[in-house]
Amino acid sequence: MTIPALPPHPPLPPHPPRPTGPPAAPRSKAAARVEAAVIRAHARVTGAALGPYQTAVVRIGFSFTWLLFLLREWPHRRRLYGPDGPWSWQMAHQLIEGNGAFSALMWSDSALWFETVYGLALLSSALLLLGWRTRTMSVLFMLGVISLQNRSIFVGDGGDNVIHLMAMYLTLTRCGQVWSLDARRAARRGPGALATRDTTGVVLWTLTGSALLWAQLGTEARLDWSAYGPLPGVGWATALWGLWAVHGAWWLARRHAPGEPRALLDVLANIVHNGALVVIMGEVCLLYASAGWYKVQGSRWQDGTALYYPLHLEYFSPWPALAEALAGSGLLVMVLTYGTVIVQVAFPFTLLNRRVKNVMLVVMVLEHLGIAVLLGLPFFSLAMIAADAVFLPTNFLRWVGGRAGRIRARIRGRLPARSARLPGQRAGEGAAARP
Amino acid sequence: MAETERTGQRERGEGTGRPLSLPSQLVVAVGLAVTVAAVAIHLGMAFLNVAPPNTVSKQHGAAIDDYIYPEFERNWKLFAPNPLQQNIDVQARAEIRTPEGGTTTTGWRDLSAQDGAAIRHNPLPSHTQQNQLRRAWDFYVLSHDAQERPNGLRGQLSGQYLRRLVMDRLGPRQDGGTVQRVQLRSVTRQLAAPSWSEEKTDTRPVRRVLPWWTVTADDLPEAKRR
Repeated sequence: MTIPALPPHPPLPPHPPRPTGPPAAPRSKAAARVEAAVIRAHARVTGAALGPYQTAVVRIGFSFTWLLFLLREWPHRRRLYGPDGPWSWQMAHQLIEGNGAFSALMWSDSALWFETVYGLALLSSALLLLGWRTRTMSVLFMLGVISLQNRSIFVGDGGDNVIHLMAMYLTLTRCGQVWSLDARRAARRGPGALATRDTTGVVLWTLTGSALLWAQLGTEARLDWSAYGPLPGVGWATALWGLWAVHGAWWLARRHAPGEPRALLDVLANIVHNGALVVIMGEVCLLYASAGWYKVQGSRWQDGTALYYPLHLEYFSPWPALAEALAGSGLLVMVLTYGTVIVQVAFPFTLLNRRVKNVMLVVMVLEHLGIAVLLGLPFFSLAMIAADAVFLPTNFLRWVGGRAGRIRARIRGRLPARSARLPGQRAGEGAAARP
Repeated sequence: MAETERTGQRERGEGTGRPLSLPSQLVVAVGLAVTVAAVAIHLGMAFLNVAPPNTVSKQHGAAIDDYIYPEFERNWKLFAPNPLQQNIDVQARAEIRTPEGGTTTTGWRDLSAQDGAAIRHNPLPSHTQQNQLRRAWDFYVLSHDAQERPNGLRGQLSGQYLRRLVMDRLGPRQDGGTVQRVQLRSVTRQLAAPSWSEEKTDTRPVRRVLPWWTVTADDLPEAKRR
């Protein structure tokens, strides 16, 4: 069970383990216990990137959702985000001037550039899904998501919003430790093997650096060092060049300084990963808590009829007969209405108990599957399920991974050896069977 | 748990096993402190952003907004505190110049009903069907007053957006004539209360009629103008 029960962060700085000696003064048992706990927590958050399966499933879930969305909107892409859209480039430009949002689509108004960005967004989602060069792809994936969404902010819904947030957090996680091509490559090389020259990595790094340089110098891109960034005081130039420099430093350390510098970078990467994981989990809790607590105040959620109404909205009733059948029963509508509020309000607290939390997760996934069909919100629901997945138990994830691996092996066994690689096979799942 | 540790060990690869030197330990301590602070600030800001206006957010509203917008905005209150309980139909009609040189007015076209029809029996509705017009109208209503006057830049943009969206839907020709002017209206109907409820709801439509506007090149998508 790896759901990292959020390590109780003690006030800092934590004590690093030190050689034992007689304590200066006799101390109470409680103090000793606190110190032991602090040392344990310190070792835990620095020693490993926690929740490898959970972060991998979040990565797969969000990249899959976004990939599917981009493919689904392929015929409408120019209308939603491109040159044929009613929200013209000029209008987007005026709005973005004011709010300082990031969109690579604002670097040029040419149709060719739009198609390039859409294509790169598709490609980076697919590669992030497979876990190929996960850390680089997670950055490109984020840029794709926010570039398209910020270009036309008035076509999105709650699902887009969750994808936007999670895409940003994923860039800070080591989300390719399992179920990824990266993990497979690392396993093939074997533990302790010396880092190779990694030509692909160098090429990718050079390409992304050149692209960034071109954007910085050759376009109207507002890549500022301290303003117009993801956080106050951090511009997009700082954020993107910073990530790029870190990737370079990691390559250098692996290749030329396999001792302490590499170990240090490794520990820092673990710390950042674990911090981002806490933020992802915190955001999911906030999302449900706020949705639930606001509903508690609504008269329709109080009188048990809330669910009846969305089922009858023109925009959210793809299956009127099904909706009618469900909405026909006052009791059923009330049970589902109350159930929704109870689950949402209770969710953050159920994390304190593993068993209750797992039951809640099942209920929430079922509810989102229901929403996907009944309200015609499949991408929103997929995104929410991907977010919920961060709380899935490791045993379950490993079991799913193992099954996927066995199914894949069986399919492979039936086919002639030469076509062992199925087109469209999600290679990421195969690595699951590996320890 | 054991698995995590094992994975961690594997990931760390060579170079581990030895404790870090003191300078490195200091870097780790600083890194940990910065990360813990950043996580606390981020989640604190996120909390204040979704919480109702309160003592803290009233005092530090500007700092919170500065932190949250534009990239960390949260926008998921579609069904809270109450779900939407009305169908809003955006309808358009056009004044056309006929080939004979006369001028007539078309009937009202219900653009929202067209969206609804596209969504019916569709397992994967597109954002162009489900969100584009619905949210464009929302945006317009929120940034215009009762006299249809725009409030600032957002108001102007929302008006232009709506006109371009409607022209995109109608096309340059209607009923065999060229579209000269267009008028929009919204028809809002409250959803009837459930059959098992004793509540009486007034479901008569409420209309909001916008003034006619003359179509200009700005109202047509760029690609078609070229």
